[in-house]
Amino acid sequence: MIGVVIRKELLELRRSPVLLLSMASLPATVVLVPVVLFAWMLHAAPEQTLGFIEELYGVRSAGGTAAGVGLALGRNWLPMFLVLPMFLPILLAAQSIGGERERRTLEPLLATPVSTLTIVVGKSIAALVPAVLITWAAAALFCLGMDAIAGRMLLPDAAWLFGTLVLSPLLALFGNAMAVVVSSRVLDPRAAQNLAATTVLPLLALLAFQLAGRISLGPRFYFALAAGVAAADAALIAAAVRLFDRERLLTRWR
Amino acid sequence: MAAIEAHGLAKSFGGRIACRDVSFSVERGEVFGLLGPNGAGKTTTLRMLAGLYAPDAGTATVAGCAIAAGRAGGPALRARVGLLTESPGFYDRLTARENLIYFARLQQARDPARRSDALIERFALRDHAQRPFAELSRGMKQKLAIARALVHEPEVILLDEPTVGLDPEATREVRSLVGELAAEHRTLVLCTHHLEEVERLCSRAAFIAGRLVAVHEIRRENLLRVELAAPFAPDGVRALCHSLRLSGSTLLIEPRVEVPEIVAALVRSGARIASVAPHRDPLEDAWLQLLAEARER
Repeated sequence: MIGVVIRKELLELRRSPVLLLSMASLPATVVLVPVVLFAWMLHAAPEQTLGFIEELYGVRSAGGTAAGVGLALGRNWLPMFLVLPMFLPILLAAQSIGGERERRTLEPLLATPVSTLTIVVGKSIAALVPAVLITWAAAALFCLGMDAIAGRMLLPDAAWLFGTLVLSPLLALFGNAMAVVVSSRVLDPRAAQNLAATTVLPLLALLAFQLAGRISLGPRFYFALAAGVAAADAALIAAAVRLFDRERLLTRWR
Repeated sequence: MAAIEAHGLAKSFGGRIACRDVSFSVERGEVFGLLGPNGAGKTTTLRMLAGLYAPDAGTATVAGCAIAAGRAGGPALRARVGLLTESPGFYDRLTARENLIYFARLQQARDPARRSDALIERFALRDHAQRPFAELSRGMKQKLAIARALVHEPEVILLDEPTVGLDPEATREVRSLVGELAAEHRTLVLCTHHLEEVERLCSRAAFIAGRLVAVHEIRRENLLRVELAAPFAPDGVRALCHSLRLSGSTLLIEPRVEVPEIVAALVRSGARIASVAPHRDPLEDAWLQLLAEARER
């Protein structure tokens, strides 16, 4: 039965060009801005400036200044690729319950024998899969772009592989579960989306501190983050199922 | 065993009582009406019977599944009940057929695609089956919603205001569909505030106005109501009638013969006829009287 819910959700997504465009626009920006910036820096910035960037972020590469700057940019930009899988499912999942209610499909859906768990899991997977796939595609394009401009293979390094392959799905699950929890309590889909989206703020703060050269996120941080997010995922999924009260969803209007 | 047995159902939301003391039973194959003004608690009652709300008090059995205070009907009940919701409630971007198949799968219907196609055919929606739901007319949307209520061949069908918001043509189509279901001896609960729908289709109706006011049996005597323009002694036509009642200028006749024959006989006997019409169950009178009594209490 979960498959039925997933198929329907993905079919609806495929037929929503505006939603697809909004899901693609952020990853496109996240890929294009640093790649173009890197190309422009190598083309226009004096050697001294590139050296300063290497020094600021403490990155040295045997491949020369260009490779060092590329590595610095790549490592510092990784948190942005952790924001993506967390943010993208929010666009879909925040609509999941409130959207059903707004379209008046919630009552017929709840009148079927399908269990709460099936609805929550089905909707979650349907939001997760596109988000993770888009993130992976964007990460691959970013790495290819950086490598092409540097003229050598800089990325993905170990942190990138761990971040995109392990952390991304965990964060996507976190963003989605958070959106389902919020959507179960705040039934206006727009309010739910805005509220759930605030969960990416800590990651954005980390990105800002790292870009400012104040902190340097290493493998230990990413491992700890993965463990913490996995635990939070389990708790949030349990909460999402518990909070999905069929009667309350039908009777609450705000 | 009755298809639905409800005893003292009550439900309130945040201290506001939606309905209380609702008790009635519906036999298998019966078409039962739930009548009441807007906000009377009809939809709340229907939602309790559909397993969407848990009653605050009272018990019910629907298609053999129990509902108790604080405990809504579970998946087994929802699988045996077909609910037509107040609003059609489908996904705009999916076609009519995709929508119906989706719900057929959720309802665990046998062979969902074939069952959906059969209903699309039956409800004359074949030419529109591949159109997105958003593009369908209001009447088509409602027919599709009725098809959804039937897609899993439920034991009990609950119809919540099937004609509300429809134009006259769509209303007629939907009424005719409900009439077909009634003729098939399905167990139907028809929730409406249109007395004529209940008069035409139901064998009994529960009047609800915050609480159950009464359960009214709808009589279907084959009576002819003749309004007379002048006093008349009907003795000359008695032989053509099973029964004949004169009350003021109204003559109520249960004819033995066809209507034109009885009218001709009346004219031959010197009756000056103002109008002739089938005599309907005086549901409206009963309803207004019960409502007035309920408000006085």
